[in-house]
This record gives sequence, structure tokens and C-alpha cells, in this order.
Amino acid sequence: MENPDLQKIVADAESSLPDVSNKPQWEQTKATFLGPNGSLTQFAKGIGAVAKEDRPAFGKALNQAKGIVESLFQNRLTAIEEIEDLKALGDKIDPTLPSVSSLQGGLHPLTKTRRKIISIFRKIGFTVAEATEVETEWFCFDALNTPDDHPARDEQDTLFFPPHSKWANIQRKKDESYLLRTHTSSVQIRTMLREKPPLRVIAPGRCFRRDTVDATHSANFHQTEGLFIDHKVTVRDLKGVLDFFLRELFGEKVETRLRPSFFPFTEPSFEVDLKVPDLGKLSNKWIEIMGCGMVDPKVLGLVDIDPDEWTGFAFGLGIERVTMLLHGIDDIRHFYQNDQRFLSQFSSQV
Amino acid sequence: MKMSLDWLSQYVDLPDPAEELIDVLPMLGIEVEEGDEGPSVSLDKVVVGKVLEKNQHPEADRLSVCSVEVGAEAPAQIVCGATNFKPGDRVPVALPGAKLPGGFKIKKSKLRGVASEGMMCSAKELELGEDDAGLFILSGEPEIGQKITDVVSKSTTLELEITANRGDCLSHLGVAREVSAYYQTPTRFPAVNNSAEPTDTATGNSLLSSLDVQSSQCPYYTAWSVKGVKIAPSPNWLIERIESIGLRPINNVVDITNFVLHEIGQPLHAFDLKKIADSAIVVREAKEGEKITTLDDQERALSPNMMVIADAEKPLVVAGIMGSVDAEVDDSTTDIVLESAWFHPGSVRATARTLGLHTDSSQRFSRDVDPAGVEFAARRAIDLITEIAGGSASSEFISVGEPPRTSRTIEIETDYVEERCGFEVSTEDLTASWKRLGFEVEGTSPIRVTVPSYRSEVDRPIDLVEEFLRIRGTSDLQGSKFLSPSLIRDNEPAYDLCDRAVDNLIGQGYQEACNYSLRSSDELASWFPEINQEDLALGNPLTADHTHIRASLLPGLVEVLAHNQKNLNDLNHLFEIGRVFQPGPRGNAELISIAWVNTQANSRKNWKEEESSDFFSLKNSLERLLHAVGLNAPKGLWQSTEDQLPWQNGYAATLGDVHRNKLGIGLGTLSLNLTKKYDLKGAVLAVEILIDPVLLAKQKKPHPFSSFSTFPPAIKDLSLVVEKTEPAEAVREKVQEIIHQTIADGISLDPVIIFDVFSGKGLSVDKKSIAFSLRIRASDRTLGEKEVNNTFEKILEAIGSQTPYELRK
Repeated sequence: MENPDLQKIVADAESSLPDVSNKPQWEQTKATFLGPNGSLTQFAKGIGAVAKEDRPAFGKALNQAKGIVESLFQNRLTAIEEIEDLKALGDKIDPTLPSVSSLQGGLHPLTKTRRKIISIFRKIGFTVAEATEVETEWFCFDALNTPDDHPARDEQDTLFFPPHSKWANIQRKKDESYLLRTHTSSVQIRTMLREKPPLRVIAPGRCFRRDTVDATHSANFHQTEGLFIDHKVTVRDLKGVLDFFLRELFGEKVETRLRPSFFPFTEPSFEVDLKVPDLGKLSNKWIEIMGCGMVDPKVLGLVDIDPDEWTGFAFGLGIERVTMLLHGIDDIRHFYQNDQRFLSQFSSQV
Repeated sequence: MKMSLDWLSQYVDLPDPAEELIDVLPMLGIEVEEGDEGPSVSLDKVVVGKVLEKNQHPEADRLSVCSVEVGAEAPAQIVCGATNFKPGDRVPVALPGAKLPGGFKIKKSKLRGVASEGMMCSAKELELGEDDAGLFILSGEPEIGQKITDVVSKSTTLELEITANRGDCLSHLGVAREVSAYYQTPTRFPAVNNSAEPTDTATGNSLLSSLDVQSSQCPYYTAWSVKGVKIAPSPNWLIERIESIGLRPINNVVDITNFVLHEIGQPLHAFDLKKIADSAIVVREAKEGEKITTLDDQERALSPNMMVIADAEKPLVVAGIMGSVDAEVDDSTTDIVLESAWFHPGSVRATARTLGLHTDSSQRFSRDVDPAGVEFAARRAIDLITEIAGGSASSEFISVGEPPRTSRTIEIETDYVEERCGFEVSTEDLTASWKRLGFEVEGTSPIRVTVPSYRSEVDRPIDLVEEFLRIRGTSDLQGSKFLSPSLIRDNEPAYDLCDRAVDNLIGQGYQEACNYSLRSSDELASWFPEINQEDLALGNPLTADHTHIRASLLPGLVEVLAHNQKNLNDLNHLFEIGRVFQPGPRGNAELISIAWVNTQANSRKNWKEEESSDFFSLKNSLERLLHAVGLNAPKGLWQSTEDQLPWQNGYAATLGDVHRNKLGIGLGTLSLNLTKKYDLKGAVLAVEILIDPVLLAKQKKPHPFSSFSTFPPAIKDLSLVVEKTEPAEAVREKVQEIIHQTIADGISLDPVIIFDVFSGKGLSVDKKSIAFSLRIRASDRTLGEKEVNNTFEKILEAIGSQTPYELRK
């Protein structure tokens, strides 16, 4: 490009650009070169005065200059946009500053334990059944072979509703009293009345006792019931299932034993003891962990399952108790006080 | 139940060391409670002391200053508050440096200005017995200065927990039977010499003039007569037995009845003949309004469902539970009538429960005593009475009724046992096991097992399986390799729903909480004044703050907010999922509730401001949750709450009704007056979703696909002036409906969106303007400008003619 005018225009464009710092200014400056009255446009109008044979050269030079100026402006625009984009981002960040929201959602430790228990049993085919917390005497006691005058049915230990109490969505057997269930074993009955064997269910839920609250007692607490009904289920199957569960929960080193005991709805009945090498103060001692037994034939009869064809077992354990054992928690009231300093220790999902 | 190993060894050979039983009994089904014998307790410095002098404390009426010989050179001066001792008595003395159970340390000290060099102790203070009424007076002149642990052995008494079905184990002989079955050694029953003959009426030979059993709750009653006894303190061996299980010796006759109760398990009652009016005994139901002052000095009102043993005038004993002060055997007693009977377990249990009076006797009757033991225990007691207290026993006893139960025979096959146990069992093993338990066994197929009367609960084949397993032992039982099914049932839908809700709310930054279901009446009244308190009241609440079941999770959550705020904890977003209870038109309903709350007030400042939440951010939070758990919001418009606790007027709303729609939602700011009571800073925003579980029982059908336009939409804005009170959603729905009717076939409308609401300048005070964004598109082409404008014109026209809304220019 030998034309000195064009060279000057290009040079002017080049020297004007560093001062251009925003888009309007850029538009304005661009117009002084490429606009209808811009210097390049003006120069192009001079083609009329150019000799015909020189016109191709003139045109070529003009286009070349225009190309240069346009790309100069384009580059500048990119640069301006980049600056503006960065400006919109604000100051550079200090990544060590804390997050803005202090929110950190989390699980309650009882939910965490419940989920752990259920996921273990799910591996061996148990799924969740539920029933209501408000129950009736028949489902909570009679159907579980607990006689009328059994101590567990005392007003001393069980919270009853007054005789006139009426419940729309809880089915009664006859006109027996409503109460707050004392164990999740009532779910066994509701499940067996609705579904027929083979059955493997696990039933977590809230239970109630007429207890004053202290470090080891709570007016409400949580249990998980399990029920397994099939052909030819034996005491050894019961042991096998519970051994699997306790090994998954407390580790491979756990030792277990069944110890004869008594529940009205199982025969024979056992307490399950376990011994774990690494459980703080309770290491290497037999600790009672749960109750279990073979479902009493009378119970099966009451829910129309033939005890000669079907046998099975049931078990129940306290979710608070398991949580306290697993984490070394010494006071059951922590679960219901919901203090952040307690909850935050266990609130992660894993 | 307390059991002395030394006493037990009278009836069966014990292992060596006898403490082995602590591990053996639990595996037979009898739990042994662990004592708190920690290293902090050291009875080493507790020795036998002899009281030399006892003088009144100069400054305190209730204290005495004693000089006590403790085996050191000089006697110790000890200040004491007990009154049951005299100079010459030997008592346990805790010397300075001793640590008593419970961590109490003994030091030299001054009590009301008088120096005291130790402490004289009660049995309870040393955990050597239950008696805490006075000092533990040691019998038999033990050597002064000897360690108390050498004199009174504590390790020999075990605390046993007997399960409800094993009433037969509530005695030393009962436990001895179990021990003998386990070790296969014989049980030694005490020999009885008394050979009185039964008669069915009070004849000349009996001290009673009549015996009348009227109550049906007493199928079997016997009365025995002993003349000319001499009441005195019991001999040492008997005192030791009585004290070893934590009882207080009273006198020889009473101690003998207590001894036999704990030996055989049959409660007995000794009457002083001269205190029985007309020498007549009546076993009957109490009369309305009748009262009795029991031996614990409590006057008790009786009711007609309680059985009493009465004379011609008044009740003498609450049957099977406790006697009255009026019939007590005392120092002047010479002639005794001894009762041994079988009372119906349920009757005794109910009465003990109603009176709140649980005794060693009621405990045994309630658990069903052995009918065969009734006579045996009486003969044993009479042998002891005549031996220890003298007197002569009548050659006859009155016996009314029959033992209600004898032995019974069960037939069982070996296969039956095998099928339940899951391992091979031989008929010989079974026979041997049951024989060890004292059952008679005959035959092989079926095996005929005769169970003695004391095992009331063994009467079916399955019970025999349990007995076999117990004796065989269960600690070595190997678990089977069980099969997993290839098909598993679904979880309860309600469980899955709640589980998804937990995850969603945690994802939204909320912390899960867990609150009590039992609440106070005050709370219910202030949060839900429209609920009839009675509907949610418990019949037999235990404490005043736990009288009602919760109607909502919100009060609990607000309490937790307040607790954490007060403790400057950084926790102000909380949720809970659980069951709540609400009265409805057809009675109460148990509902699933999902509730979450937050408060803006934060205990800590943050370097950068957080966006504050309000009704609309919470509404979004609700929508996110509903979407995540797969619930559709109830149809209809959100209703602003008006005087509807617990919500704040004008800042909260409800959607749906749980009784009608099976799903109801409340959302917004909680009543400021209500939350202020919790000393909470700042307003509390809350959501509560109530679900009737029946809603979840329906299976949802798969949602059908509908095709959608792939062409870009034409966008038009529209601003309408409407009454200020008109809900925005009502206007939006109307607009949307009119557009749907107006647009041509083949043109579709995206949901109409509100993008601005304005009131104020340029509008009259009772108006507001709402701006909508419309997006319409054709299924087969990009709409042209002209077509769009035409459509829009038609829409405006339709709105103009069909609604009172004005177009805002």
C-alpha cells in the first residue's frame, strides 16, 4: 500500500484506538473512519478522479486499508468486551473466604441409623412395612398373644386414649380401646392381615411408653421390627439373618449369641447378645441388643396363616439404643433436644 | 428377685466357684443383674465396731455422740443420726479413708461443732441389704475391728430378673430346679413331717369357727392351726437367711412365713387367732366403701373387685397382697391360723395395680403359684414354727376347693422339633433333655411328655421345643445360610415418600430435627385454639407437659429454633417428618406431616449478605419438594389466612384441606404473637404439608406423552388493571382460559407468566396492574408478524369483552 493518504488513515486509526475504552466511544471512533462521512469513505469517493487503468490498483489498496482498519477495530472491540465482561465479574475473588449461606442441611442421627438398618435388611430381601402410631388394644396386644391381664397392658405402662375417642383412618377389630403403640410389633399383625406369606418385612417406627424422661428413658422412642414368614423357617435361619445384620452393622469381628427369654408373641423367644472388640467401654462384653423369637403359632392363627404350613421369626430393636451404641452417646435426650452442637456431628449423609 | 447362693446350695450342689452361675443362669433365661462394683468402692476400711457409749449431741436433738470401739488403741468418737441402736451393739463403721458405694468418701469432720472420726452405717449404705431405716446391727458378736466384708458376705447374693412366664422361678427351690437341670444333679427338697389331714369344714380340731370362701377368684384355700406358740426373735440362721435377701427380720413366725415364701415360692399368711372376730374367716370381695390400714400404715380404700380375707366384722388382708395392722402377729400372739391358698393371678395383679401396692406376695400370686405347693409350703412352715416357736399343730387343716391345675401331657414328634430348630435331633436327646427338667417322658412316636403343675406355661408342642433348646443351650447355635428371594416386595409408599422428602429438604439446606409427639395442653390451646382439646387428649397421661398428642410439627420446630438461637448456635433452617393427629369430620386422623421452618435472625454475621427468604422463596421451596416426592399440589387457589392460628394474618396462606383432599398445605409467616412467646428474634417462616396416607395407596398411571412444537414462540406482553383484592392467580387463569378459546387451531399457548405487579402512581388506590408474558407458537411454522398481531388483537378484544379488566396503556 503505497498511497500515503491511505497509510495515514491506517496510522490514524491505529493511534486513535488505544484511547477507545468503551463501546459508544468505539462506535463513534469507528464512524470517523468507516462511517458514511468517515475518512476511508471519503477517500473511496475519490475513485472518480482516478484514471481508469489505475482504478483496480486503487480499489485493491482501498480494500486492503479498509480490511486493516476493520480488523484493528474488531480487535479493539474484542478487547473492550473482555474488559467489560471482567468488570461485570467484579473484583478478583479470595477463594479462602467462607461460603455465603451458612446452610448445611443434614440428617438426624436416628434417621441415619434407621436408613443403615433398612439398607442392610434390603440386601437380604426385606422391605419396609408401616402402620400407624395410634393403635388399638387388639393389634398391639391381643393379636400378639398378650393376655388381658398382662403387665404390659397396664395403664401404668401404656398410654391409652379415653373410651369415647374415635379415629377415622385407623381400623379397629371390634370396639377395643385406642392407644399409642408400645412396640412396632403391631405392624406384624397389620401386615400379615393384608399380605400373605412368604413375607420379609422390616418396620421402623415410633413407639410410646408411659415413662418419665431421663438419660435412658423417653416417652417416645423408635424401634425396628422385622418379620420373616416362609416354609420351613427354623431357629437357625433366625440366627443366620441376625448374624448377617449384626456383622454388617458392627463389623466382621462381632460375636453373637441367642439367650433364652420371653415374649408373649414368640416361642421360643430369645435376647440377642453381641460382643464387639472396639466399642469403647463396652468392648468385649456381652451386650443385649435386641429381642427375637419364632412367631408363636397362636399369633399366626389369629391372622389366618396356617401354622402347620408356615413358620417364621420376628425381631425388634431400638433405634436409639443402636445409635447410642454405635456412636457412644450417653443420653437419649440428646436426640430430642436437637442442639446444633449435637446434630452437626452426625448430620452428613454417609 | 434377690437370691442367696449360700441359701440356694441347701437344695442343689453348686458349681465351684458358685459364681459360675452368673454366666450359666442367663443362658437358661434368668438374667442376673450386674452390681456396680467398681474400683471406686472400697469396703476395706469398713470394720466391725462396738458402741461403748451413746450420749446426746449438745447442739442437735437428732444426733448422738458415740464412743465406738473399732479395734484401734483408743475408741473413736462418732456422731450419728440413727436411733435404732444401744451401747453394746455391734455395727459396721466406715473409718476415714473408706469409700462407700455411690462414691461417698469418709473423712474426719465436725458435725455441729463435735468431731466425728467415721460413720456408722446402715445395710443400704454399704449395699449389703435394702434396710435403710437405721444402723445395720450385726448379729452373733463378730470380732471387733474385722473387715465387714469378712463378716457379711455380699458376693453371695444375686439379683435375678425372672421373665413374666417363669413364676415358678421366684423362689430358691425354683432356681435350684433350673440349676439341677443344667448340671444334672438332684434337687434336695426339704423334708416335711407335718401330716395333718384335710377336712372341708371347721371342726373341733381347728382354731377357726368357720371358713367361708365366697369369691370365685379363690378356687383353693387352706387354713392350718397352731396352738401355744411363743413369739420371739428368730434364731441366727433364720435372721441370716432373711437378711441375705435384703429383708428385715421381724419375729420368728413372720420370718418363717417370709422364709418359706422365698424358699418355695408360696406366699403364706399367719393370723393371730385372737384378732379374728368370732374366729371366722371369710374369703370375699370387698364391700363398697370398705377401708383397710395395711401393714405399711397406709389407709386404703377397697372396691368390690378386690378380694379380701375378712373375719366376721372387717377385712384383715388384701388377699394375696398385704395384711392389715389389725391382724398382725405380735409379741402377745399365742395361737396362729396359717393361710396357704391359690388366688387367681389376674385378680391379684389387678388389685395390686389399682392400689399401687406390689409386694413379694402379690408378685408371686400374679405370676401363678404352683397349686401343688400350697399344702407343701404350709406343712414346711408349720414344721419350722413348731420347731422354732414351739406350740402344737392341729392334726387337721381346712381345705376348701381344688388345686386349679395339675400336671398335663403333651404329645410331640421328633420331626416337629427338628423342623423348628433347623438341625438334626435324636429322640433320645429330646427325652433326656425333658427328663432333666423334671418332665415325665414316655414313648417315641409320639413322645408323650407330662409337665408338672409348676410349669403353667408349658402346654403345647412349641413350648417343648423351647424347653429343649434352653437345656441343650443356644450359645453355640450356628446360623443357616439363608436364601435371598429374587423378587422383593415394594416398600410402603409412605415410607419412600418421606425418605425422598428427607433428601430433598437436606438438599435445600434444612437440618432434620426430631421432637416428642406428646405435648402440653397449653401448647395445643395457643397454637390450635380451634381444635377441641379433648379430641387429642390422652386418657392416662403421666406428666402435665405430656397430656396431648401433637396436631402439628410446627410447635416442636419453633422450640428447636428458639433453643438454638438462645445458645447462639448457627442453626435456623429445620425440618421434621413424622406423624401428627388431627380431628376431622369422621373422627381423628393420623396424618403424615412434612414441615420446615426458618428464621432470618442469625447468631453470626457473615462477611457477605445472604439473600433473605420470604413467602415466595418458601413457596418455591415447597414446589421443589412436591416435585421431588411426586405429589401434585391440591387444586384450587391459595387462600390467605384470616385469624387462623398459627399463621400471621395476611402473611400466610393455605392450599387444600387434608380431610377433603387428603392433602393440605399451610405456608407463610407464623403468628408473631405466638413466636414471640419463645423469645425468638425475627419472624418465623414455615411450611407444613399434611398427608392422609390413604392418598398414597393409589398407584399412579404413567403420564402420557404429548407432542410439542419445535418452532420458536412469538412473545407478547400484556398489562391489565384489576381490582386490588383480586388474586393474581385468578386473573392469570382467566387470561389463559380466554386466550385458549381465542387462538386458532394449530396454535398453542405456553403457560401465561406474571412478570410484574404494580400499584401506586397512575392507578386509583383500589386497583393494581398485573403484567403477563404470553408465548404462542404454531405446530408447523414460525408465526409471521402479521399473524401474531392479529391474534393478539383478538385476545385483547376478548379480554375486553369478557372481563372487567382494563388494558393498561
